[in-house]
Amino acid sequence: MLDQAFEALKKFDYGTPLSDVQAIEDAVVASNHDEAARKAIEKKLSTTLGSSLSRDAKDYVCRQLALVGSADSVPAIASLLANEGNAHLARHALERIPGPEAEAALASAARGLTGKLQLGAIGSLGVCGKSSAVSTLASLLSHTDSSIVRAAALSLGAIGGNEAARALQSAMKSSNTEKGVLIDALLSCAESLLKDKKTTEATAIYTALSADHQPRLVRLAAARGLLACAGT
Amino acid sequence: MTRTAQKTRIQVAVDPSQLADSATQTNTSRRGFIKTAGTAALSAPYIITSTALGNATRAAASDRIVMGGIGIGNMGRGDQGAFLGRGDVQYVAACDVRAKNREESKGRVDGHYKNKDCQVYNDFRELLARPDIDAVHIATPDHWHALMLIEACRNGKDVYCQKPETLTLREGPLMIAAARRYGRVVSGGSQRVLGDYRRFVDPAWAGELGTIKSINVSVGPLPQLCNLSEEPLDEVIDWDMWLGPAAWAPYNSKRCSGSFSINGASWRSFSDYSGGGMTDWGAHHFGGATFICDVRELQPKEVVYHDTAEGKWLDYKYPNGLSIFHNKPKTGNLFIEGTPGEKLPPKPVPTYKGYGDIYGDFIECTKTRETPFRDIERAVNTCVLAHLGNIAYQLKRSLQWDSVAQRFIHDEEANRMVDRARREPWQL
Repeated sequence: MLDQAFEALKKFDYGTPLSDVQAIEDAVVASNHDEAARKAIEKKLSTTLGSSLSRDAKDYVCRQLALVGSADSVPAIASLLANEGNAHLARHALERIPGPEAEAALASAARGLTGKLQLGAIGSLGVCGKSSAVSTLASLLSHTDSSIVRAAALSLGAIGGNEAARALQSAMKSSNTEKGVLIDALLSCAESLLKDKKTTEATAIYTALSADHQPRLVRLAAARGLLACAGT
Repeated sequence: MTRTAQKTRIQVAVDPSQLADSATQTNTSRRGFIKTAGTAALSAPYIITSTALGNATRAAASDRIVMGGIGIGNMGRGDQGAFLGRGDVQYVAACDVRAKNREESKGRVDGHYKNKDCQVYNDFRELLARPDIDAVHIATPDHWHALMLIEACRNGKDVYCQKPETLTLREGPLMIAAARRYGRVVSGGSQRVLGDYRRFVDPAWAGELGTIKSINVSVGPLPQLCNLSEEPLDEVIDWDMWLGPAAWAPYNSKRCSGSFSINGASWRSFSDYSGGGMTDWGAHHFGGATFICDVRELQPKEVVYHDTAEGKWLDYKYPNGLSIFHNKPKTGNLFIEGTPGEKLPPKPVPTYKGYGDIYGDFIECTKTRETPFRDIERAVNTCVLAHLGNIAYQLKRSLQWDSVAQRFIHDEEANRMVDRARREPWQL
């Protein structure tokens, strides 16, 4: 059944009944807590990714690798990051694969790609949430393309912490681009600091955002944050 | 120090209750705009209309909540009608990626007010950027909800979001965080939780059922991956915007149909856009069950998967001992197992604020800054049940859920399903 499903994958495209490849999904689910089976299905999937498949078929394989992929699959998946057709679901898989290999592939794409594909990689680094991505993201805050600045800021906000906050504060001083998103990301960092009981650092951010020149919405958000820091 | 600055500083230092940003603050800006415009046009005759001053059924212009709508298809049309019919709402803008919906919407709104003022948009970001809009309702397919709701909060809007409010488990906390960060009133959109299930709620909250041990919810089916083939485009639609953060796929009328089908003839059936019947009707039924059992503020700690000869079913176990069953064989929808002979102290039943239904509740809360009946956190908790269920059925196993960390315990594969990547350039 599984071999037939992989054979069907070669002709799989929009309109093909999903039942033709159902055995692959079943094998993925069944491989839970069975390391050998998991490795076997992962290898079949990542090998298939290198063959001549339709966009739809590659997307389908990436959806499965999102569940069973490991560092072993990263090279095959990462090769799709520059492919407009499959980059999205390649990122879907990489975001879910634990370990530095997937994150490194996304960071490389965030630095090296352009346009929407670069935005996607930047966003995925935020989803992964690793502080090791902060320097890559921080370097993008000075980009001339405001959409890149926005994406990097949101990802830094998603990662949170002191280092991300410092990068955002620095960007706010030097840029007039995407101020609202930079502030939103900074508020997000303050929330993460507060959650980690780093009240002093969070208070400093909220105090800065309480300044009279900030928009009313921001001042109120900062005031709520200050109250939270004070334990009110 | 100006008076405004002084007032703000007092709020920050002294009065936490004032920190819920009010829709009337936007009204102040609007009045400021009118004043400025009026000054610039001093030479023109200045006429104050009876509409602007208000009357018995219509609030004065300065007291109306200025609204726009995003996604004006089947449910959005209904929501729009409900808000449009209120005297304390001024509906000024509508957004939809379908030209037909935009045109119909403008005709309807302009016809209602007998003017030409309703602005229509293809891109929701343009609507949300308008400073004169206090609140928006969102009734797009589910894959858009989180992005739009969070962006609305960033822009200082209050939000009424149709159910099911979330598409993934990760979205919920982010939506709650945005609402709380900016002090927004954010209401979910199930009118049935209170409207349809009151007959179960009243005896439960009156204590007449004793301790509730379990309640069954019958709903489904699960969503399916959509692999429909391409069809010729037979409507004026911005297809890339319709797909938005979802995976690219060719146009197919069933893929994007807004009909209420959950069996393959609308987006509600497909996992890229919806949690299927589990979330679509689950938002109502699970919402009703959690209300009846007074666990709207909680999430379950475990989902026990049963695969029996009579069928597959789930047992959601709550920290307080309650079980919410899903599709338990031979058990009716909302069948309640109480404790015979036990009588508990009665509790007052929460209800809508203001006048009218769930729409009135939302509008009233935008004015008073109270928490709406289906506050986003309660809505998210309801959706969590449906998402946990979908994952348990898909993985065919029981799951333990850490509601604080929002992670599954000892199940890496399940944790890979708490969210999905968003298609570039979209990002939460």
